[in-house]
Amino acid sequence: MTYTYIQSPLEQFEINSLMGINAPLFGYAELSLTNIGLYFILAFLVIVGFNVIASNNNKIIANKYSITQESLYTTILNMVETQIASPKGQYYFPFIYCLFMLVLVGNFIGMVPYSFAITSHLIFTLAVSMTILIAVTIIGFSEHGLKFFSYFVPAGTPLALVPLLVLIELISYIAKGLSLGIRLGANIMAGHMLTKIIGGFIYQIMAASPLMFVIGIIPLVLLVGITGLELAIAFIQAYVFAILTCSYIKDSLDLH
Amino acid sequence: MPQLVPFYFINQVTFGFATLLIMLYLFSKYILPKFLELFLVRLFITKL
Repeated sequence: MTYTYIQSPLEQFEINSLMGINAPLFGYAELSLTNIGLYFILAFLVIVGFNVIASNNNKIIANKYSITQESLYTTILNMVETQIASPKGQYYFPFIYCLFMLVLVGNFIGMVPYSFAITSHLIFTLAVSMTILIAVTIIGFSEHGLKFFSYFVPAGTPLALVPLLVLIELISYIAKGLSLGIRLGANIMAGHMLTKIIGGFIYQIMAASPLMFVIGIIPLVLLVGITGLELAIAFIQAYVFAILTCSYIKDSLDLH
Repeated sequence: MPQLVPFYFINQVTFGFATLLIMLYLFSKYILPKFLELFLVRLFITKL
């Protein structure tokens, strides 16, 4: 009798405590370094390390690392400048840059086999996106005062329709924040699950017999293609997250 | 889904925001101004 051991495709997203202390001082709170915490630290070290190396000891002539970093810098700066045309737009550049780099490096680290995808965790992505939504609302109120409420009333609306439209606009405003986080988390999670499930099937096919091993190369090539697609998605999702954040900031700076 | 275990919610959000905030401080204070300075120096040498 042969047993087939199938791992759940969701197992890769499990959070485990790697080390921790139980703190009686703080109501027996568990202060622990989890695998997601470790990968956040890793992403932080990669981003800061790369940027420090790319600074090239302040030499004017760029090396290969600084060319990459300067391309990223100008790409994000162009994005911020085109999206947020307001003179205050460039204030938000460091924030957008950090957000883009964290999501990008988090996605790319997640693509390394047997590693952990921090951006597949909906709680983190939703927390960031809802924080952005709250921040954008605060920016709107500080810039425009109570006139910010006009954001919820499209121009030229008949008075009778205003209560209904305000409700619809309010729901769509909150949905913006929710969709920003869910889009990133769901995309990365779906990609990782897909590669895991297909990889599991290919292993089963190739382990069956020598003939099936040869036949299994065909889906294996497809899996390599899908992994390439996932790498593209990792970049695109980071870009989309950053560009939509810019767009929300712009909406609150310049009311329509 | 293992992502939605409430026990680790605070932990992941704390790590995430701590990373983002420390990055934001380091980048806006030290790293990005260096690059801007570099671009300005290049502009000064080539155009001005």
